[in-house]
Amino acid sequence: MTGLFRRLAIAACGLFLAAGLAEAQMEDRRAEGVLIADHVSVAPGSRVYAALKMTMDEGWHIYWRNAGDAGLPPQLILKEGTTLPDGAVGDFLWPLPHVIPVVEGEIMDYGYDDEVVFAFPVTVPADASGEIRIVAEADYLICESICIPETADVSLSLPVGEPIEDAAGGAEIGQWIARVPAAFGGEARFDDAVTPWTLSLRQPGGFPEGAQIRFFPFGHEISHPAPQHLRAGPEGATLSLTPDQFGQVEETLAGVIRIDAPGAEPVGYEIAATRGEVFAGTADKDIPLAPTSTGAGSSAEAGDPAALGWERIATLAFFAFIGGLILNLMPCVLPVLSMKAIGMVQAAATGHAGELKSHGVWYTAGVLVSFLALGTALLAVRQATGFATLGFQLQHAPTVAVLALVMFAVGLWLMGFFELGMSVQNLGGGLAAKSGAAGAFFTGVLAAVVGAPCVGPFLGAALGAVISQPAPAVIAVFLAMGFGMALPFLVLSFVPGLHRLLPKPGKWMDTLKQAFAFPMFLTAAWLLSVVAGLAGAGAAGWTLAGATALVFAVWLGRQGGAVRRGLAIVALGAAFIYPAVQANVPEAAISGSSQAAFTGTYGEAAWSPETVVEKLAEGRPVFVDFTASWCASCQVNKLTTLKTRKVQEAFTNADVAFLVADFTQKDPLISEELKLRGRAGVPMYLWYPAGASEPQILPELLTQELVIGLVEG
Amino acid sequence: MILSRRNFSLAAGMAAAVALTAGALIASTAEAAPSAAPGSMAPAFTGKTSDGETISLKDFAGKTVVLEWSNDGCPFVKKHYSAPPSNMQSLQKSAVSNDIVWLTVISSRPGSQGHVSPEEANELTASRDAAPSHVILDESGDIGRLYGAKTTPHMFVVTPEGELAYDGAIDSIASARVNDIAKADNYVTAALANLAAGEAVATPVTKPYGCAVKY
Repeated sequence: MTGLFRRLAIAACGLFLAAGLAEAQMEDRRAEGVLIADHVSVAPGSRVYAALKMTMDEGWHIYWRNAGDAGLPPQLILKEGTTLPDGAVGDFLWPLPHVIPVVEGEIMDYGYDDEVVFAFPVTVPADASGEIRIVAEADYLICESICIPETADVSLSLPVGEPIEDAAGGAEIGQWIARVPAAFGGEARFDDAVTPWTLSLRQPGGFPEGAQIRFFPFGHEISHPAPQHLRAGPEGATLSLTPDQFGQVEETLAGVIRIDAPGAEPVGYEIAATRGEVFAGTADKDIPLAPTSTGAGSSAEAGDPAALGWERIATLAFFAFIGGLILNLMPCVLPVLSMKAIGMVQAAATGHAGELKSHGVWYTAGVLVSFLALGTALLAVRQATGFATLGFQLQHAPTVAVLALVMFAVGLWLMGFFELGMSVQNLGGGLAAKSGAAGAFFTGVLAAVVGAPCVGPFLGAALGAVISQPAPAVIAVFLAMGFGMALPFLVLSFVPGLHRLLPKPGKWMDTLKQAFAFPMFLTAAWLLSVVAGLAGAGAAGWTLAGATALVFAVWLGRQGGAVRRGLAIVALGAAFIYPAVQANVPEAAISGSSQAAFTGTYGEAAWSPETVVEKLAEGRPVFVDFTASWCASCQVNKLTTLKTRKVQEAFTNADVAFLVADFTQKDPLISEELKLRGRAGVPMYLWYPAGASEPQILPELLTQELVIGLVEG
Repeated sequence: MILSRRNFSLAAGMAAAVALTAGALIASTAEAAPSAAPGSMAPAFTGKTSDGETISLKDFAGKTVVLEWSNDGCPFVKKHYSAPPSNMQSLQKSAVSNDIVWLTVISSRPGSQGHVSPEEANELTASRDAAPSHVILDESGDIGRLYGAKTTPHMFVVTPEGELAYDGAIDSIASARVNDIAKADNYVTAALANLAAGEAVATPVTKPYGCAVKY
C-alpha cells in the first residue's frame, strides 16, 4: 500500500508540497525527453527542424493534441535562456496517434506509447550569430492506469555559421514527420441531421481491401469511446459517428482519419469535413470492425471491445468450432483418435455402453480443459509481453519473417522430412494408456496437445482476429474450438454403431498429411511477400536464405554425430534469427505504398543529368527533387506541398517529368550537382520550364501556391 | 439407447460453458448511456456515504446540490486540494455556508487507484480539511455512469428544482499545476453565482479535465 505509506511519509515530514510533485520526485521518472535537431550548425535566416523526443517506460503513454476523454497533450514551454525571438519556435507536428481505451466502451483517449518524436520548425533569425539556444521545459501528463504530471528540462544549442546537416537527427525527425497525417486527397462530408452521424470519405478507387478506418476528432463533438461502424464501396468509405451528448458542429468537422490496412503501416490523413450527404459508392457494404491495431511495439492494449460486436465473436466461435471438427482429420490427431479412442469405442461397443458414455464425456472434458489452458496461456503471454496481436496483424516484419519460416518448417514436417514431437506423444500416451475415466480424460488432453501444432493458417486468421479482444472472447473461441474437436468422439461414445463408418487408419493418412504441406508452403510464400512489402526485397531474400539454412540444419542433424548435431543447432538458430534481424530495418521515412496519397507521378524516375536533357528534349518541363530520408525539411515539403492533390494534379496536367535525386546514400553525382548550384545540401528543388536549358533553383521551403504558380505559369 | 442423466447433464454442461462465456462477453460489452444533460432533470440516484448512511438526490429537493467526482491519488485532484491555496476546500466551505449541499463522489472500483474504505474517506476529509456535506462511495460506478462522469475532478450542479445546471470542468485551465488555479475562471463558482442571482447559468457545459474515472 505504497500510497498510504507515501501519505504517512509526507504527513510525517510535514511537507506541504503538492503531493503530485512529491510523488514525481519520489518515483523514478516515467519518460525521458530530449531535444534533437536535423542540423549540427545553422545558417542565419534559414529554417531547420528540431524535435522533442519522448521515450516512455513500458506500459505508459502520453497524449495526442486531442487527448480524448481524459488526459492532456504535452507542451514545450520556452524558458529564460532561449535566444530566439517570439514565434521563431513553431508548433508541434503531431504524428498519427492510436486509441487508448481506458475503460472499455466508456472512456477513450488518444496518444502514443513507447517512443514518439514531436518535430517543430525553428526559424533562425537573419541577424543570428554565435549560437542559437532553446531552453525549455517539456510539460507532459504520463499515464498508465494512474497519471503523473512530469516535466523534463530540455535544451538545444546550435552554432550559427555554415549549415551542416545532422544525418542521424535528420533521419529520426524525417521518419516521424513522415508519420504526420497529410492532407486528405479525397473529399470528406459529414451529416449530423440524424443520429448516428455519418462521415463520408470519397476517394476514387476506394480504400485498401480489408482496411480499418477510424476518425480522431480535433474537438469533442463526438463520443470518443463509441464504435465507429464502417461501410465501404468503390468510391470510398463512410463511418458512423455517435455525437457527444452536447456535440455540435459549427461549419466543419475536423480531425484525422487513421487507416489500418492489412500488411501496411498505418497511415493518417487530416480532414475538414463539410456538411453534406453520404457520397454515392462509399457505403455499399458493411465492413466488420477488427480490434484497433495500435501499431508495432504498443502496450498491451485491447482494441475497442465494442468494435468487435458479440455477433462477430459468435461467428468466430462458430468457425473455431468448425476448425475444431477439421482438427480431427489432421494427421497429428487422427492417429491418436484411431489408435486410442476408436480402440476404446470398439472395446466398449461390445457391451459397456454406459461406461462408454462416461468415457466420451471425460474425453470431452480433457479436450476442453486443454484448450482452456491453451487460451489462458496465450492470454498470459499477451499480458506478459504486451504483444496483443501475436504478429497476426502482420505489421512487424521480423515476426512475419519468423512466421514464414515456421510455416515452411511445418510444411517440411508434414512432408515427412523430419520427425517431431515423439516425446510429447509418448508422454501423453503413457497417461492416456491408463484405463477408465482418467485414461479417457488424458486421451482428450493428448488429442488437444498433439493437435495444437496442426492449427493451420485457416485458424490463425480467427485467432488473429480474436487475440487482441477481451479475455472472455479469447476463451470463448478456444472453448468452441475444443468442443468442435471433441464432438465426433462424444457423438461416437453415445452412438457406438457409428464407429464402423470411420475411416481406418492406413497409408492414406500419410498421403493426406503430405497433401497438407502444400497449403503451408503457400502460406509461407504469401508471408514472404508480406515481408518483402514491409522490409524490402533484401529481407525477403534473407528469409529464403533462412529457409535454406533450415533445410540444411535438418539434413545435417539427420546424419547423426555430435559435431554435426551441434552445427545443425547453430544453423537452425541462424535460420530464424538472422532473417528476423535483417527484416528489422527502420522503414524508410517515406514508405511509398502507405504514405503517398498520390503515387501516380511521385518518384516517377530517378534523376541524372542525362535524364533531364532527355526529358527536356521531349518538350516536357522537369521538376527535380533533391531529397534524402534523413532530411526533415524534405519530408515537410513532401507532406505539405509535393504530395498534395493540387500539386500532383498540376504536375499531371502540365505533363511534368518529376525526377527524384535521392541523397540518402552518398552519391558523387548528386554532390557534384549540389556544388554546381551552390548548395550545401538537400533539400534542393530545380525547376526547368519546358524548353529551358538552365533551371530555376526554388527556395528550400516550398508552398503549394509557389509550385502550382510555376507549373501553370 | 438410454442416456444416463448424469452423463447427459455433463455433456450439456460442456455445451453450456461455451454459451455462457459468450453470454458473459455480451454482458461485459454492454454500454451504459449517460442520460444527464444541462436543462433536463438530473438523474435520480441513491448511494451509500462514508458515514454508512443511505442518501438520495431527492432528499435534497429545494436545495442546490454540487456533485464533485474525486480520486485522492489523481494529480488533478491533488492540485485543487493542495494547501495553499486549498481551492476545493474553500469552494466546499463557501457552498455549505450558503446552504448548498456538496456531495463528493468516489467511483473508483475496489482495487483501483482512489478506492477508499469509509474510514479512509473520512480520514482524507479530515486530513485535507475538506468540508463536503457527504462523501458517496460509488464502488459499482453506477452513479458515475448515470451522470457520465469521465474525469476526476468532474463537477455537476443541480438546481433546487432538480434540474442539471452545470456539467464539466472545475475551471478553465486544464493542467495539473497549482499556480494555474489563480489564473483560471472557476466554472462552478460562476454557475452557483448565476443560480443565486436567479439567472440562467452562462456556461452550462464545458469539457472536464483530469484523470479518467477508475470504473
